[in-house]
Amino acid sequence: MGAPSRGGALLQVQRFLGSRGGHLAFYVFKRVLWLVPVLFFVILVTFVLAHAAPGGPWDRNGGRELSDAVRKAKDIKYGLDKPFWEQFVIYVGNVIHFDFGTSLQSEGIDVKDRIFTGWKYTAQIGLLAFLFIVPVGIGTGVIAALRQNTWVDYVVLALSTAGAAVPNFVVGFFLVILLAIIPYKFTGGNFALPVSGPPADDAWFGIDIHYLMPVLTLAFLPIAYIGRLTRSSTLETLRQDYVRTAWAKGLPERKVVIGHVLKNSLIPVVTALGPLFAILVTGSVVVESVFQIPGVGKMFIDSIGARDYPVILGLVIQFALIVAIANLIVDILYVVIDPRIRLE
Amino acid sequence: MHSLMRTRWAALTVGLGVFVAACGGTTSAGGPAKASADKQVLRINTGVQPNSLDPGQQSYDYEGIVGRNVFEPLLKPTKDAKDLTGAAATGKPDVSSDGLTYTFHLRDNNWSDGQPVKAADFVYAWGRLLNPCLAAGYADPFYDQTVKGGENYANIDAKDTAACTTYVKTLGLKAPDAKTFVVTLQKPAGYFPYIASLWVGAPVRQDIVEKYGSDKWATVPAQVIGNGKFKVGELVANDHITLVPNSQYKGDQAQLQKFEMFFISDSNTALNKYKNGELDVLNVPIADTDALKADPKFGKQIHTYKSLDTFWYTFNNKTAPFNNPAVRKAFAMSIDRKQLVDKVSHGQYLPETTFTPEGMPGYQGANADLKDLLKFDVTAAKKALTDAGVAPASLTVSLLTRDTTTNKTLNQYIADQWSTNLGVKVNLEVIDSKTVTKRIRKGDFQIYGADGWGMDYAHPQDIFDIQTTGGCHGTQWDCYSSKAYDDLVAKGDAEKDFNKALDDYKAAEKVLLTDAPFTPLYQRPSVDMVQPWVQGITAVTLDESVYTPGDFYTETIYISQH
Repeated sequence: MGAPSRGGALLQVQRFLGSRGGHLAFYVFKRVLWLVPVLFFVILVTFVLAHAAPGGPWDRNGGRELSDAVRKAKDIKYGLDKPFWEQFVIYVGNVIHFDFGTSLQSEGIDVKDRIFTGWKYTAQIGLLAFLFIVPVGIGTGVIAALRQNTWVDYVVLALSTAGAAVPNFVVGFFLVILLAIIPYKFTGGNFALPVSGPPADDAWFGIDIHYLMPVLTLAFLPIAYIGRLTRSSTLETLRQDYVRTAWAKGLPERKVVIGHVLKNSLIPVVTALGPLFAILVTGSVVVESVFQIPGVGKMFIDSIGARDYPVILGLVIQFALIVAIANLIVDILYVVIDPRIRLE
Repeated sequence: MHSLMRTRWAALTVGLGVFVAACGGTTSAGGPAKASADKQVLRINTGVQPNSLDPGQQSYDYEGIVGRNVFEPLLKPTKDAKDLTGAAATGKPDVSSDGLTYTFHLRDNNWSDGQPVKAADFVYAWGRLLNPCLAAGYADPFYDQTVKGGENYANIDAKDTAACTTYVKTLGLKAPDAKTFVVTLQKPAGYFPYIASLWVGAPVRQDIVEKYGSDKWATVPAQVIGNGKFKVGELVANDHITLVPNSQYKGDQAQLQKFEMFFISDSNTALNKYKNGELDVLNVPIADTDALKADPKFGKQIHTYKSLDTFWYTFNNKTAPFNNPAVRKAFAMSIDRKQLVDKVSHGQYLPETTFTPEGMPGYQGANADLKDLLKFDVTAAKKALTDAGVAPASLTVSLLTRDTTTNKTLNQYIADQWSTNLGVKVNLEVIDSKTVTKRIRKGDFQIYGADGWGMDYAHPQDIFDIQTTGGCHGTQWDCYSSKAYDDLVAKGDAEKDFNKALDDYKAAEKVLLTDAPFTPLYQRPSVDMVQPWVQGITAVTLDESVYTPGDFYTETIYISQH
């Protein structure tokens, strides 16, 4: 090498932090540190709210309740007899050691294991839907913008309006009737898509006929949303001076669209994809219910109904983490896409 | 969803329906040709995953259907549910002359890993069930007035493992030899064999529990070593469980090669799954009853299975105006139950004016003396109110109800009956289930319903004990207390001679219906759709027929060619 570096390690660190990459690393480090108080606050609020909700895990929905002696024994077994704040402190202490406790409803089931099993399904449909949404949503948006006020545009607009207006479960049941019930009836049971259930165990990443309807249902609204966003942003970009210049230079359409229009019009779309991704992998509650997919969305609803405190808390912590990380990635993407933005 | 009633501990959380069938009976011989082995699959929906596969830790009906097929308790109901017959035991137990000692003789059978079933397995399992440190939900029938030593259950400090262990050793459970299981009771209890027929009293293997851990052993299907007709083949969390035949089982082997239970909570999804040929049995949702009955295909697949259950509305006996029996009676007599059944349940329910459900030994619905005490009679109801010095126009009562679809229509109907027939004002409080439970436990209500009871076994003790004094707003929500009633029930409970016991319970029912701490409303059979290829169902009125009929005698079920 050339001259030995002067000033040693400290200076190197300073230099690194002064560089663009260094800024980014420091920024990420700061944001990750911030997660600690954020998570603590999330746990505190969830813990208080969950315990403040009426009833407890041993209540039955009618009929005869568990006897008082059994309720007392169960409270002791699961530590619910201790004062509220002591329970909280114990819980936080356990979380620090990555111990999320065991379910109150399912004897002997570790909360981590339970969430992990659900995660597999939720992540699969979320990711498959995401991979479907991005090309279809952006593609239709761009085509609609380029062919503004033609029939293509109107069809896309109509579909995306419908997509935004029709709730998930309606789409789901409509698909079930269309692809399962009607074919079953007319083929005497020889052909029909399965109405519900997770994919077969040996299906690679859940790519299996069971997921066709859930993924379509989950993707319906986001496609409409991304499509409309892409269309309006592309239309705006098409009217910019630099695009007019590109046309005037006599560039072919392909080059104008890809090199000049999309490069700029997709910035707002990309920033919307981060939160969308978080929503997809955490928010498929309705789809999981309609198609009976044993993912975390359905688990969340069930655990709230059952007052299964450890499962509720475990899921909330996990949702908080995903949302925080997705937002962080989007913030970093901003910088990568648009050099004018500075991270502080 | 469904309503509230359920078997004793088994809440019908999933709420569907009801049923049992007259259709049933046994159809094994002479049925259609059996399909090939790979088609011997029965697919049903239990709505919820069992909270545990350890029979001692189970308590809900959706767990019982798994528990009693994977494990085998000492006794089971006969097909007509009028008596008990041997399961793990050769038959009913020998009873000592003082009525305190019950001796069960075990038949030859194997665990699913090939080891013989021993009496010590029962001593161990019952000891676990009664161990306060393990807090089994369904322990109380075994400690409350029954197994000797169990009276101390509530006094043991459940934090103190040593105290729990010592206490378990004092229980009246013995295995003098490998095939004899002896239980000593606190006091005579003629109904005790019925307790012994509960699946939660099935045996459990000490070596397995100790090897894998007390609350972990039953979390992995392969570790669940049982003595029932089936064993657990597969459990996909929150999706389904598959039972497969236990080849080590000695006795009538199951014909089904797979017994699949799905955990579908959404009733529309389940219905679509049935229509799509992916489920073989499904309870008919009340709202869809008329449409399905009218359907040329599905209409023919609907069967009604009678079920031992009963539903009522509870009056708060501690506060005015319902601390006055005349007011309770007036309210009970101003409900047209026949119309209720037609309008609210679309013909699924049966009207009821007595406490013991139809099909139970001791049913009084054909006995004019009792069945007319609370019958629909507006004139008598109005007179009772006037005689009590209550002016209907000035009376506003509040009806507390859980927030379910079925309940909403039911409660609107009943509120309308009371305001039309009696001229009182009724406020409906439709609230989430957990809040309702909290308020009832505090006694913060005037009328609550619908509540109900599904029989755990066909002995009247199961249902009559609910109304005995004690547990006010705890386990007994109406706070009824009558010395005459308590004495009669205690006499019936202790009686060894079943027929004599029935006389006591009949007298007790008369006291109860005269005091009317609640108003009987209806019985809820299970109305199920069954695919035409499901054959050989042996329906018993104690089945979890909301999920499938025939779950006590699953060995007779097979799938025909289709």
